[in-house]
Amino acid sequence: MKERLRALDPYLMGPILVLMFMGTLTIYSASRGTVQSSIWLKQSLWNAIGFGLMIFVSRVRPNRVFNWSAGFYIAGVILLLAVLVPGIGKAIGGSKRWILIAGQTFQPSELMKWLALLFVAHRLGAKPPDYLRPMELLGIAMLVVFPMLLVLKQPDLGMAVSFLPVLILIPLIKGLRARWVALGLVLVSAFGVFAWHKVLKPYQKQRVLTFLNPDEDLQGKGYQINQSRIAIGAGGFFGQGFTAGSQTQLNFLPVKTTDFVFSVWAEERGFLGVLMALGLFGMVLNRILEIGRMAKTNSESYFCVGAACLLGLHVFVNVGMVVGILPNKGIVLPFFSAGGSSTLSYFLGLGIIMGVYYRAKLK
Amino acid sequence: MDLRHSALLQKRIGVIQAAAWLMIVLLIVAYAWVQLVMRSKMQELALRQALKNRTTPAPRGIIYDRNGNKLVDNRRALHLVIQNEDLPTDPQQIEALATALQLDSDSLKRKIHLSRQVKGNRLLVLQDNLDEAGLAKAEMLRARYPFLSIEVAPRRVYMGDELAGHALGYVGEVPPELLAKEPGKYEIGEIIGRSGFEASHNDKLKGVDGQRQILVDHLGREMALFGIQEPKPGKSVYLTVDAGLQQIVKDSFSAEQGAGVVIDLRDGGILAMYSSPSLDPNIFLNRLSQEDVEKYYQNPSRPLLNRVTQGIYPPGSTFKLLVALAALEKGIITPSSTFTCAGHKDFYGRTFRCDAVHGTLNLVQAIAKSCDIYFYELGSRLDVDDIHNAAVKYGLTEPSGIDLPNEVASRVPSREWKRRAKPKDPKWYAGETISVAIGQGAVGLTPISLARFYAMIATKGKLLTPHLYYGTRNEDDGQLQIFQPPPPRDTGLDPKIWATLDEGLYNVVQYGTAAASKIPGLDMVGKTGTSQVTTFVDKAHYSQLSKHLKDNALFAGYAPRDNPQIAFAFVAENAGFGASSAAPIAKKVCEYWFLQRPVKPLPPPGGKLFDAFHLQGEKTAPEATSP
Repeated sequence: MKERLRALDPYLMGPILVLMFMGTLTIYSASRGTVQSSIWLKQSLWNAIGFGLMIFVSRVRPNRVFNWSAGFYIAGVILLLAVLVPGIGKAIGGSKRWILIAGQTFQPSELMKWLALLFVAHRLGAKPPDYLRPMELLGIAMLVVFPMLLVLKQPDLGMAVSFLPVLILIPLIKGLRARWVALGLVLVSAFGVFAWHKVLKPYQKQRVLTFLNPDEDLQGKGYQINQSRIAIGAGGFFGQGFTAGSQTQLNFLPVKTTDFVFSVWAEERGFLGVLMALGLFGMVLNRILEIGRMAKTNSESYFCVGAACLLGLHVFVNVGMVVGILPNKGIVLPFFSAGGSSTLSYFLGLGIIMGVYYRAKLK
Repeated sequence: MDLRHSALLQKRIGVIQAAAWLMIVLLIVAYAWVQLVMRSKMQELALRQALKNRTTPAPRGIIYDRNGNKLVDNRRALHLVIQNEDLPTDPQQIEALATALQLDSDSLKRKIHLSRQVKGNRLLVLQDNLDEAGLAKAEMLRARYPFLSIEVAPRRVYMGDELAGHALGYVGEVPPELLAKEPGKYEIGEIIGRSGFEASHNDKLKGVDGQRQILVDHLGREMALFGIQEPKPGKSVYLTVDAGLQQIVKDSFSAEQGAGVVIDLRDGGILAMYSSPSLDPNIFLNRLSQEDVEKYYQNPSRPLLNRVTQGIYPPGSTFKLLVALAALEKGIITPSSTFTCAGHKDFYGRTFRCDAVHGTLNLVQAIAKSCDIYFYELGSRLDVDDIHNAAVKYGLTEPSGIDLPNEVASRVPSREWKRRAKPKDPKWYAGETISVAIGQGAVGLTPISLARFYAMIATKGKLLTPHLYYGTRNEDDGQLQIFQPPPPRDTGLDPKIWATLDEGLYNVVQYGTAAASKIPGLDMVGKTGTSQVTTFVDKAHYSQLSKHLKDNALFAGYAPRDNPQIAFAFVAENAGFGASSAAPIAKKVCEYWFLQRPVKPLPPPGGKLFDAFHLQGEKTAPEATSP
């Protein structure tokens, strides 16, 4: 056991454990006195299971993990397709995102982000160290776009967005000619215009519009963000105190154990708490990228960069969303928000990163 | 690994690291803005939506009769309301709400608009007095419209239903006309007395609303109480009315229309006041059903009218006392002057009839027998202005001053009156005076002024101010503070003249027109009246009624003769001969009051208030207390 723990990077594990502790406290405070008041216990259980999963994965040699990545990818896609099968897939609030496993709802898209990253990192690592050729780029892009479209179909806009770093950043890291980057930009804008008119559902458009002008619609979609901003602002420098935030405790704050969990933290712990949490997130991202520098192979490096981007995007979009500078995407905050699928998926990713770290340390 | 690529990769990772830190800094700046710069504004917003001021409506004062029997009480009722600070703005939402509540959306919008202008925390009541089904529906609506709330507020209960509807009146929201007339006096949505005693003594009865500062959750549910200022209930008020006597009067009118009033001769307090058909104030607390609208507003009998203070009746023979008074004071006759009744006599070329051939009578006999010829003779010797001046002197033309809203003044004609009232035919004809002399023609009296006139005779010339307000109970020591009515006005009635009138009234019951209503052991005195109907029923309904119009029956008087304690007037509409319809009511009232009423009435609040006027028992001096 001791040796197993040695595989873990203390500079990465430390901040993550602190963030998880903060997250669990916040969930406790946010769900106090509601029907879900034991959700913090459940989350602690997920964290513990995730921790075990991470240790197990970190002991597997990374080159093996990468070699199996095609199989994982296919398994992930099958799970994503299973969501669409009646009887297996479970719809909550009008979107089919979940499948039922042993009485627990599981969200395959959370896992798929990591599996897509793993497979793409593996494929790119196998390429010669030149610039990517157009057809190669297209092939890589298809690997990401296909699950992304499945996720959009659920529909889950926020989750689809979190595939973007894998789609855009990893090829960039690998190396792309400037003209392909330019072409890509044009294509993406064209797709954006097309998506706005043809793909996005009215509620998704509404979210974007609300972002642009949140005051327009105080009781509707903008209501959530407005209440969240009030909660954050009311926190002030020192915060209202643990379990003492009026916005949180009086339920003005919506979905406060998942999407808006950071508003609870900000209201009750104040700017000081926000500085601490964001500092810790910065340290986590920094350390993952450092491990990417130390990695033995290009694939391992790419995976670490992708993982940092994935995490960073979630932090940026969620923390930015609850304070009102980014649209209300319905995206969760890693290590803070309650949820089994995302917790396990993050620990899976962390396990691979720890494996990379361990192999680099061993030399 | 390719060294060149490795160096590039290190560089690219460095860029991403920088980007990550930049992102963290950007977020920190955004949070610093909201949490440090916008802090006070956000805290204010948080407080504003969580901390609410709620009004606790104060219960109105309870109304008791003079013996401490509850006439009006309060009970707790649930109302669906919108708090002033939660008023909705979205017109579509208001329309949807109006549809759900089956209200007119325009009037709801107007109400919301009006309420928004009110300072303080008044409730906009959407539905009052919720029953179980209404409550379930209200709870359902509240889930959809969080700005709605359900509040407990006191609600009036009128214990006797129709027992004293006109005297008590009822409460309701302040009407827009009143708001416009006296700006600043009332608040929009305030519950005030709308009629009767509730209206005239609103200031005493209304309390001071309380305030509660509470913490609410996102659904507006109360989560914690911060501060409370208890409502101050309105003062408990005692009426001069005796509920038992009131019941007797009410029962006497069971089927007939009419009015009755009994006055306490010591201070002018109203012991009973009933107007038939009566009204049930409880019904006026709700939105009226179509059935009730028809019953109360479209009824030719006009039940909303308080006939005691607003009904103008031709007084018939009850008016003869005033004519006699005028003739005696003018010196046209002496008490022993006689006239001969042959059953009919011509005056000014027209034949006037009497209902019997009375022969030669003096004044006392003429009053007792109610001989019309005798009074025609007086009428032919008097000018109408003499009668009018006597009426002014003895208080018949002025409003009685009773503490009820919208009292109508009685009418005793004069030449001046004819000029103003009939500009097309302004001349007074002497023949008209003949009719006035027997209380017909243009003479119209309210029962309250008729009763007050007989009270004046009973008290040998004192004009009392009739009133319903008896007193209020002090909150601290529970003592009753008794209202002091204005001192009676002395009319200077000549005792000799009084003795004649008193003698006449005595004989009415001894051997005269009301002999059938004589009470053994009790000297009730009074005058019957039978007046041809020109009721106050308005012209539109007059033609419908006219085919079966019978005479109005009246009886006015006082008792007991040797030591008068009560005066009264009764009118039974279309009931025929006064002696057979109205006098029996007076008989029942006197029998109850003097013979059947419990010797010791219920202990009055705050100590000794009322001695028993009981003839069979020991005679306690009525002067023992001076209310």
